Amino acid sequence: MKAPARPSFKARLRAFLRPPRTLSVTKTGRTYLVVTFGVGLGALNTGNNLLYLLLGLLLSMVVVSGVLSERCLRDLTVRRVGADAAFAREPFAYRWAVSRKAGHGFALTFSEDLSPLTGTGKLGHLHAGKEHIVRADLAAPHRGPVSLSGVRVTTTWPLGLFAKTRVFSLEGMLLVYPRRGYACKEPGPAEKGPRGEAGSPRHLDGTGDVAGLRELAANEDARRIHWLKSAAAGRLLKVEREREERRVWKLALETGLTGDALERRCEEVAAQAHQLLDAGHEVGLQLPERTLRPAAGASQERRILQALAWVGFEDADAGADSREAA
Amino acid sequence: MKRPLRLRLVLRDLAAGSAFGAMAVSGQLPLWALGLFLGALVLALCDVRLVARHSRLSALGLLVAAVLLGLQLTSGAMNAVVAACSFAGLIAAQRMLSTPDAAAEGQTHLTGLLMVAGGAALSGDMTYALCLIAFGVLASLSLALGVVEAAVPDGEPVPVRAVMRPLSAGLAFAVAGAVAFFVLFPRLNWAMVGPRSAPGLGAVSSAGYSNTVRLGGAGTIKGNPRVVLRATLTPDPERDALDAYWVGRTYDTFDGMEWANVVGAKQTERQITLRPASDTLLHQRIELLPAYGARTLIALEMPSRLGNAMAHTPTGTRSSPVQLQGGGEVRFTIAAPSYTYEAYSLPPDARTGMSAGLVQAERDQLLAVPEHLDPRVARLAAQVLQGEKEPLAAARKLAAFLQRDYAYTLEQAGTPEDPLADFLFVRKAGHCEHFATALTLMLRTQGIGARLATGFYGGTRVDGGYLVRAGDAHAWTHVLVPGRGFVTVDATPPSNRTSQGSVLLEKLLAFYEAVEARWRNSVVDYSFRDQFELASALVRPPRRPAGSPANEAPSRLPPPRAWVTAAVVAFVVWRAARFASRWTGRAPTLEATRFLDRVDALLQRAHVPRMEQETLEDLTTRLARDGHPLALAMTPLTRRYLEARFGGRALREGEAEHLLATLRRALDAEAARRAVKPAGQAGPTARAS
Repeated sequence: MKAPARPSFKARLRAFLRPPRTLSVTKTGRTYLVVTFGVGLGALNTGNNLLYLLLGLLLSMVVVSGVLSERCLRDLTVRRVGADAAFAREPFAYRWAVSRKAGHGFALTFSEDLSPLTGTGKLGHLHAGKEHIVRADLAAPHRGPVSLSGVRVTTTWPLGLFAKTRVFSLEGMLLVYPRRGYACKEPGPAEKGPRGEAGSPRHLDGTGDVAGLRELAANEDARRIHWLKSAAAGRLLKVEREREERRVWKLALETGLTGDALERRCEEVAAQAHQLLDAGHEVGLQLPERTLRPAAGASQERRILQALAWVGFEDADAGADSREAA
Repeated sequence: MKRPLRLRLVLRDLAAGSAFGAMAVSGQLPLWALGLFLGALVLALCDVRLVARHSRLSALGLLVAAVLLGLQLTSGAMNAVVAACSFAGLIAAQRMLSTPDAAAEGQTHLTGLLMVAGGAALSGDMTYALCLIAFGVLASLSLALGVVEAAVPDGEPVPVRAVMRPLSAGLAFAVAGAVAFFVLFPRLNWAMVGPRSAPGLGAVSSAGYSNTVRLGGAGTIKGNPRVVLRATLTPDPERDALDAYWVGRTYDTFDGMEWANVVGAKQTERQITLRPASDTLLHQRIELLPAYGARTLIALEMPSRLGNAMAHTPTGTRSSPVQLQGGGEVRFTIAAPSYTYEAYSLPPDARTGMSAGLVQAERDQLLAVPEHLDPRVARLAAQVLQGEKEPLAAARKLAAFLQRDYAYTLEQAGTPEDPLADFLFVRKAGHCEHFATALTLMLRTQGIGARLATGFYGGTRVDGGYLVRAGDAHAWTHVLVPGRGFVTVDATPPSNRTSQGSVLLEKLLAFYEAVEARWRNSVVDYSFRDQFELASALVRPPRRPAGSPANEAPSRLPPPRAWVTAAVVAFVVWRAARFASRWTGRAPTLEATRFLDRVDALLQRAHVPRMEQETLEDLTTRLARDGHPLALAMTPLTRRYLEARFGGRALREGEAEHLLATLRRALDAEAARRAVKPAGQAGPTARAS
């Protein structure tokens, strides 16, 4: 067991002085305090006992406000449920799960502490003994892993005069995918030559069940002719299947890109991958530091987006997958 | 924009109404402002937001109202506080009728708060407290619902019932806190008396005092239950109903229709002495309420000295000189809605003598009769008296006759030309003024000096003092008895002397007045002196019981209430300390870390060899393994550090010092041991591990 290194005096002083809750005065609260101050001055100046009574009530309400808001934030348990998919610069659904053992919570606002994520989730009333899911539309300004240090829970209950905040220390990470948009460039030619089964002519006539037959048009692939039916019909008939011919693309992210150029390229690759995968093709990805084998489907798209999100942040966290909150 | 919760808006509008009520109870707001606000409140409660579409027009209306109020202010027709309060009420009305958004909410509550503060400056009425509490409760509920409503997603219900419970407890705590603050906060101001000038709603002056008394009035004042006077008597008669006359003034000249005085104003002093004082004077501390509505000082018969008057004007409380008028009347020189003053009266059986201020003209008037007095009056008097010449006996004989043969009534049909003759020979019924006038004039016709006195009769005991109502207004006769002075003789039937109002209404009002008296004493007039007395009452030794022997030594111990107070204070301090200790929950950990720092510093100063990155427990283990003498001191120290840091067993008070002292001694011993060792046998040097 090792004794920890002694922190600096400044850090220790800050830690000593840091309040367990942060309190900020709302606009209404500022007005309230100014009026209270005025009433206090009036009471002292005139000796009017009714003003003293009013001043007592106003000050008591401040104390009550503090006590009730503290009771609101006490005994809370918060965990992140996370987001399905977070794309940069567009709102995405994010969720926290909150519960408490006893008592009630009112007017709770949730947000991520010390993170670039904007947006809040709100909960009007929190019952005891039941976990509530709070949903928020957050937005991330840029692609990449976002380190999450804690969840801020704020309440303005009961009178909206003060906003009291409690930060629940909760380490986590949210991976923000590249911004969604349109790919201006074509993805280039598909892979050629035999590549596993993909190069086999038998597998280039589409996949899935037969959808129907139609007459072969000019310049169409003769390998799709259904000879038996063509013989019976006396003209060339082409087989149409549920899915058209699947091809393989291997998208690449050039090395040496930085800054905005890298961002734009990541967004473009993500858009191209989305288009190709949506058409049923297989897409692979060649990154400067890793390679994704071509595959089709939604899970491949997710893998590609994750890989693109990590480009440029490879040294951010080695164990990111295990801590990913999304 | 989502539709606001209807209940919240109703609560907000009612809160604004309560705040306006806090000002309106003073009775000083202009009627048009009252009407406008009440109309706006009704419309707002019906959810008719007139201003929502005509905001500019309403703003223009507000501007016009501000100009009107400004003009009234500059012309002196309205004081600044009333003008400000009226304008705040109009702003609140405009905000209530506008679109219910967040800005309108805040502004409505803010103007409500300002109106409540204005009400405190305008009124000392007990109703103000009710309005204040109502405003606090309603506005808080509205604000709380607004806060929750903002956090509830669209389409979901606002948990109104869940909000109410914690908030109700909070509000109860707030009211208790307000009372505690009010009682305990030291009064740092010089003005010790709050505003008591506002007459309040419905406090129409009703004493009916004027320079003349005209016979034939309807006598409606006898049915008025409003309290006009509060008095505290010393010594206290301790009777539930006071059988006493409170004289205001007397009249000496009767012209057949009305009574007046022959002499006008005399000297003005801070105190007026009407009669020489006797050994035993009855002291009265009297408060004339706004319902009194006159400037004549009232005192128990026969008053000896009146003065030390304070006039409670709208601008504050001022000392008021008093002026002696004809008929023994003493008046305040400053006009104000209410007054407090002191009076001293002679005891009932004392010889009063002539009033000091009675001039010759007034004495001459004591036998004057109207020029056209009906001759039957004198004949009737002579017939009743049967030759009785002794003034007091004659007066009592006539009074008994009038009480026996004449009826008391407040009903008056028309205005007869000769009201006295009408009373004596036609209707044979009248009220106190008729009886008193008849007795006075009948005595005068027989050569006995007499005059009419007016004031109040009776007094209801409330909260250690006495209340006198407007309905207790009364008239009676002063008979001049040689050697004794003026003696009171009352011809009115005894059962009709006091207030003739509804008994139930009087009981209700008596209860209200008792509460209001308590409110005034405990709240409006609460001062630093009261705080001091409250504090000293907690520690003052108890009085010796009446039956206890005089030689019994009083206990030197403080009274039980002092112990209870001390216990309560100690409990509060203990709770506060416990509450504060929660914020320093990290102290044990920090204590242990600081302890480790001090141990490390000691070891470093003593040049104890340590490996790089070697922890305290590793060092102790190594020393113990090597059989080092320091291990004996280090082992318990290290164990306690680990327990304090990680085991949740904090270091006890002084334990760290004790352990460090032990280590220091061990290090000194080790240094001494090393000093006598040869230089070649030094310990191991540090090496990288």
